[in-house]
Amino acid sequence: MKKIITAIALFVVVISSAQTQFEQGMGKAFGLWKEGKNNEASAMFERIAAAEKSSWFPNYYVALVNTTASFSEKDKSKVDLLLTKAQDALDTELIKDQNNAELYVLQALVYTAWVVQDPMTNAVKYSGKIMENYAKAKAIDPNNPRAVFGEADYQLGGAKWTGVDTKPLCAQVEKSIELFASFKPASPFSPKWGLDRALEAQKNCKK
Amino acid sequence: MKSKLLFTIIFLFTTAFIFAQNTISGKVVDQKGKPIPGANIYIDGTYDGATSSENGDFSFETTAVGNQFIVVSFLIYETFKQEIDVANYKEQTIKLRENVNSLDAVVITAGTLESGDKARVSVLKPLDIVTTAGSAGNIIAALQTLPGTQTVGEDGRLFVRGGEASETQTFVDGLRVAQPYGATTNNLPTRSRFSPFLFSGIAFSTGGYSAEYGEALSSVLLLNTQDEPDQNKTDISLMTVGLGVGNTQKWEKSSFSINTNYINLAPYQAVVPQNVKWNSPYQSLGGEAVYRYHFTNGILKLYAAYDSEKFDLDQKNINFENPVRTDLNNNNLYVNASYKGDFGTGWQLTSGISYGYSNNKVKFDINNVDSNENAAQLKLKLRKNISNYFKISFGGDYFITKYNENFDDDISPKLTSGYNSNIAAFYTEGDVLFSKNLALKVGLRLSNNSLLDETNLAPRASIAYKVSKRSQFSFAYGDFTQTPVVNYIKFSKFHQFESEKAQHFILNYQYTKPGQTFRAEAYYKDYSNLVQYDTKDIQYNSVFNNNGSGYAKGLDLFWRDSNLYKNLEYWISYSYIDSERQYKNFPTMATPSFIANHSLSIVTKYFITDWKSQIGFTNSYSSGRPYNDPNQTQFMNGKTKAYNSLSFNWAYLLTTQKILYFSVSNVLGSQNVFGYDYANTPDANGVYNRQAVTPTADRFFFVGFFWTISKNKNDNQLKNL
Repeated sequence: MKKIITAIALFVVVISSAQTQFEQGMGKAFGLWKEGKNNEASAMFERIAAAEKSSWFPNYYVALVNTTASFSEKDKSKVDLLLTKAQDALDTELIKDQNNAELYVLQALVYTAWVVQDPMTNAVKYSGKIMENYAKAKAIDPNNPRAVFGEADYQLGGAKWTGVDTKPLCAQVEKSIELFASFKPASPFSPKWGLDRALEAQKNCKK
Repeated sequence: MKSKLLFTIIFLFTTAFIFAQNTISGKVVDQKGKPIPGANIYIDGTYDGATSSENGDFSFETTAVGNQFIVVSFLIYETFKQEIDVANYKEQTIKLRENVNSLDAVVITAGTLESGDKARVSVLKPLDIVTTAGSAGNIIAALQTLPGTQTVGEDGRLFVRGGEASETQTFVDGLRVAQPYGATTNNLPTRSRFSPFLFSGIAFSTGGYSAEYGEALSSVLLLNTQDEPDQNKTDISLMTVGLGVGNTQKWEKSSFSINTNYINLAPYQAVVPQNVKWNSPYQSLGGEAVYRYHFTNGILKLYAAYDSEKFDLDQKNINFENPVRTDLNNNNLYVNASYKGDFGTGWQLTSGISYGYSNNKVKFDINNVDSNENAAQLKLKLRKNISNYFKISFGGDYFITKYNENFDDDISPKLTSGYNSNIAAFYTEGDVLFSKNLALKVGLRLSNNSLLDETNLAPRASIAYKVSKRSQFSFAYGDFTQTPVVNYIKFSKFHQFESEKAQHFILNYQYTKPGQTFRAEAYYKDYSNLVQYDTKDIQYNSVFNNNGSGYAKGLDLFWRDSNLYKNLEYWISYSYIDSERQYKNFPTMATPSFIANHSLSIVTKYFITDWKSQIGFTNSYSSGRPYNDPNQTQFMNGKTKAYNSLSFNWAYLLTTQKILYFSVSNVLGSQNVFGYDYANTPDANGVYNRQAVTPTADRFFFVGFFWTISKNKNDNQLKNL
């Protein structure tokens, strides 16, 4: 009995220490990201991705870090680099799993970043793909707050131009905020972002 | 108990050993020894690593032991991987090799103007084809705003660098289209058969192109259909000139798009005064369809286009007292199937088959001409990526053409002419990237033409060198051959023709930065073996020879900018050309009538967000063109006045998916003259009378309403206008 307990205990220790390493690494990368060290954070996530091929989180965050960094980057050639890197990381995970709503949401976000960079050329080119990816995400997980919000937000962004009726879109933003509140991340590293942007969009809707 | 203690000691010791730290340090540099900041350095399989600093330095600790792989990655460099002993890896210098496939690597640009997603340097954006004022959705009209082309208003086809329109060949997904233009007659401009709707990429080469393409003396136009449409949708167009409907369906691995158009120019011809009398307006019914299927490693595409056109008009003719009637009916079908896919390691296969059928019935005065053309092509191409630095491709083509024409004027006996031609060609080409800054392409094309009973060998070579981050030079050389046009070889029964030949030398300079492109290209073209004949018109009993020759030399400039002013995009093209030929029935070397020495196009597009509008202007200018005045002793001594046309368009978004579109060409109403037709015989005073060749109408108006029905409320037909 004692032996068994010891064995189990050892096993648990081994497992938990392995987990700890992953958690530590991810934690460190998140820390770097929070400090605004995007490049270092991305590099850390890349290293974890190279070592942990079974988890989709590291590549997901490589893509997310670089995509969000591209929004504030003014040098167009750097934007190309950031988004190419994001797309490469995302592609790695999309090949492994075509049933993950978060990956499609992020794909839509990558395309949105291309649109933001050069709306005149890219809005026409990517709008269809953006909507398609949100639609795929919602088909897999209708209650994913990022999918619901992202789809509405992209159309709200173009509303000034296109004159589309914003009421139903604002209703979707409201719905997404409720979904954000009830959303339960499956793991500590599951994507959680988006609520602050949704609240912002809600404010604009009320104007 | 003892063993337990031992175990604990061993365990503790091992743990301590595992957590022993080794420092890894060094510097990351490029091939010139310059530091690379921001590179990711790590021990493969661990989380241990660092990012290089501004000086390229890095240092980190690792708990890994023994021999491990160190990895250094940075997007624009090739990933470095080396086995090291972690205990002894300090102050090492790691040299990264440039990734020659990265976005900023040199590309051979001599002669090539590209548009589309895959183009590294886009001269035209896909949208431009349709939003350029004056183009009215005609691919050819948009390309005529690029340097190296001539505006030949009475013809409408592409004339490139002193070449006849027939010297340009059009390819859809790599397969030749025998009849790329709509049917037309004397001095009525034609337009491209292809709607820009289904194409995602266009490469237009004004010379020096790859050995993959043959049977073109001057230029190739490569149109590629979309690999994948955006979404399911229905497009409806209501225009002053007709109606259109389109639909796209997408499935898991495949998709299907179809669009049909009915064009009737009756309302337009009723409103705008015409310089000719229409007995029956121009009408056409046409459509295109594409089916795509994605395999794991490849894509299959089936493309079909059909159109039927007719019109009937009376045109004034200097040789007849009364206007001459032309009644035309044309039916055209084009289908192609192509497959492109990867296999093995680094192999790519492209294959396809195409078939085109054209039937043309023309009644000109009392003459009846009925012609049929059947043209097919088989193609196979293989490409192997031997390394990042060397690629080789080779392939073959087989062209079959059967042409038949019946001529009947109810007086002389019926005349039948025609030909059967088979051309087999083989080509091979190597692409070498010496570095990110130096690229070379060398190719050879071998072709055999059964009708002409000849074999030709055509070498091609081009080289590009990048001198700085934003600028590069390219040079291209090539030999090109082409079977003489149908007007000649339909008389092959009576004369053994030979291929016409051209040699190109092109020097190109290109400067690019985001939002700006500048290109300058100087070229020299040498023509030989051109067909000559000794009669006024081409007849079966003309005396033909292949002794004609000619040259073309010139300079093309292009500037495109979107940084000058917010929401404004513009480009300027200027072409200078000096060209002479002795061909056809020319008595001496002379500049042909389709060549203007100077051409200038200015295209602007301006987005007004508050008005939800895009407004565009295009101004096309070309200097006078030569014409032959038989009243003068010198051949081709006349010159028309300069040509100018200012076009305007306005796209207005009513709602997201409803667009109102308005365009007008030649706003200023310039009275343009393309040339003069002279009488065959002099009048009583010994003077040859003449008649100006002018547009059928001075202006063209167009109003359209476009409606897209899809789930994505942001999509609209702006891209199709």
